[in-house]
Amino acid sequence: MKKRWMTLTATVLTAAMIAGCSGNNGGGTSEGGTSPGTEGGSGDKPVELTFWGDWGGEGQVQFETMVNAFNESQDKIRVKYVLQQDMITKFLTSATSGGTPDILFWDRWRTSLYAPKNVLHPIDELMARDGVERDNYFEESLKELTYDDKLYGLPLTVDARALFYNKTMLEEAGLEPPTTWEELATAAKALTKWNGDKLEVAGFSMSDPGLFNMYLQQAGGQMITEDGKTSFNNEQGMEVLSFWDRLMNQDKVYKIGFEQGLGEGTDAFVTGKLAMHFTGPWMLSTYKKYGSELDFGIVPPPAGPSGDQASVMGGFGLVIPEGSKHKDEAWEFITWWLANKDNAMLWAQTSLNLPGYKPALEDPFFADDPLWQPFLETLEFAKIRPQHPGYSVMEVDGLIPNLELFIQNKQSAEDTLAKSQTQGDKLLKDNEVVE
Amino acid sequence: MSAINKLERHQARTAYLFIAPTMLLFIIFMVIPVVMALYLSFTNYDVLSRMDWVGWDNYRRLLDDSLLWLTFRNVLLYAVIFVPLNIMVSFGLGLLVNHAWRGVKLFRTLYYLPTLTSAVAAATVWLWLLHPEFGLVNGLLSYIGVTGPAWVAQTETAMMAIVLVTLWQSVGSNMIIYLAGLQGVPGHLYESARLDGANRWDMIRYITWPQLRPTTFLVSTMAIIGALQLFDQAFVLTQGGPANMTKTPVYLIYQQGFNQLQMGYASAQAFVLAMAILIFSLINMRITKAEESVI
Repeated sequence: MKKRWMTLTATVLTAAMIAGCSGNNGGGTSEGGTSPGTEGGSGDKPVELTFWGDWGGEGQVQFETMVNAFNESQDKIRVKYVLQQDMITKFLTSATSGGTPDILFWDRWRTSLYAPKNVLHPIDELMARDGVERDNYFEESLKELTYDDKLYGLPLTVDARALFYNKTMLEEAGLEPPTTWEELATAAKALTKWNGDKLEVAGFSMSDPGLFNMYLQQAGGQMITEDGKTSFNNEQGMEVLSFWDRLMNQDKVYKIGFEQGLGEGTDAFVTGKLAMHFTGPWMLSTYKKYGSELDFGIVPPPAGPSGDQASVMGGFGLVIPEGSKHKDEAWEFITWWLANKDNAMLWAQTSLNLPGYKPALEDPFFADDPLWQPFLETLEFAKIRPQHPGYSVMEVDGLIPNLELFIQNKQSAEDTLAKSQTQGDKLLKDNEVVE
Repeated sequence: MSAINKLERHQARTAYLFIAPTMLLFIIFMVIPVVMALYLSFTNYDVLSRMDWVGWDNYRRLLDDSLLWLTFRNVLLYAVIFVPLNIMVSFGLGLLVNHAWRGVKLFRTLYYLPTLTSAVAAATVWLWLLHPEFGLVNGLLSYIGVTGPAWVAQTETAMMAIVLVTLWQSVGSNMIIYLAGLQGVPGHLYESARLDGANRWDMIRYITWPQLRPTTFLVSTMAIIGALQLFDQAFVLTQGGPANMTKTPVYLIYQQGFNQLQMGYASAQAFVLAMAILIFSLINMRITKAEESVI
């Protein structure tokens, strides 16, 4: 009798677990899958579109503001924003198993990796049909959304790093914001304060060796060649490293690890422990919060020894996955947002991002603001990262580790460039597009 | 005779029924994915567009992948420091809180508490504590006149920082395991040892430690597996830097698979990692089981 009870219990448990398990699976697909608008495809019912993004919190509110404004502007299409924390992984699985969204928030540099896999929908025909002008966007930002002469999306935001400086500190030292490397080094040295072997105020941040790309272009160089090889083991690369060596080891304007782990409230620039650093428009709203406590200014990145100006353009776009069943409607939403000055401005003012749509940048909101203006200037000459699918790996695993050794004075400039070249070339080759 | 057989068969059937749920889950979520990963490691699978058989290509590429071997070197170095320290500290803590003295429960709780925090959150806080100029650790060091290093940013100390943080977070649960083991050591063994004139240290060395061999085996195996799969704390603390010193295989596998869409190659890397874990677990098994049990 007892045994029978046990058998029964075990059976029930097993059944329950199987049920629970498959139940979860079902939940998983319906939650993320969203087979878009299968029920609303025809008739009078509005078409339902799904828009995936990985911005939560404030970003989610900003996206939803746009989505709601679009939904109210017409009654044929209903867009729904779905927050996907792990968006790219989710997109990977949905692209093969169905249930892709109709609009995807897209980090533009990923295009060169994903476009060859035919999971994004080219929009050239739609552009031509609706007469959307390419001239309204930065050519560089479109280039980043292009693969094999096909355009895969429109730019939502544009950004580039510029030099942020603490006005109060520069005024006290009687300095003007630097416009050249030479002035940058002089100012950085003058603003640095050491107390014995404790760094109290860093004149200039050297925390991110990943900015090598920008410095190299300021020195007149390029990261990789047309045929996909690194091209920094040369005079220009050397120029950058000797400049870094001067800042780091001779003038000692910075100490490694100085900014590591400092969150928003303790940001070294906010707390007056850092006088100047390169960062992008994404920091503006944070810094503005501190109002009069933090008096800061922005200038375009200082020019290199031969007067070359450079910055790296980045930003996001909106793309239409190939799996979408409502590409025309998705396109309508995208153009409403990204090819219309009023809506682009609504987006810009809601999110405090520089919109990808140029006519919106001419609005006094940006053009007359001394904090936005330097970015507009910088964007005119900023260039995107090289579009090699192995570029970021080359940078992160090949170049930056060697640069870190150099900055810490553990590897000579010659070795640094030579090793970065060998390791970088290999990584580029291992990660190139295979058709 | 046949009645006993019948009973045994019946019991066996019941037993299978009982382990069925676990086995089912194990097969669905472990066995099938592992077999699939093995298959994928022989393809050029990119998740999106292709999955063609490429034979041993991925494994050949592995041989030449200096970064992968560097990450293996990193985690091995980490394991060599981390695993013995982990065992010593958690065993020591277990001994300390084994006896009933006033406030022992409080200490047990305190030592266990770090285990409950999320790895990422804890690492973020530690990043603060280890800050070169404003961190608590270097602040304390400066009282004794030592200028502390930039812990997570310098090549010399980055790995030590990760060992420190992961140790802090993992000794608590191992302490509990040791504590359970200690409570199970029969009291008569100590009693007879005392009669034979053994001192405290002798008792730990010749009774407690050998008695806890199964526990040590469990703790060390889990620690080795955890060490070779190091990822989250290392990622938050150093992002693999400085100079690739703290990059780990799991980081590389993730990057290769999900960021570079070379899932086939990433599967091959993952298999090498799995093999490494298996080998080191076997070695560990030999070492821990080397001595004959006391009883």
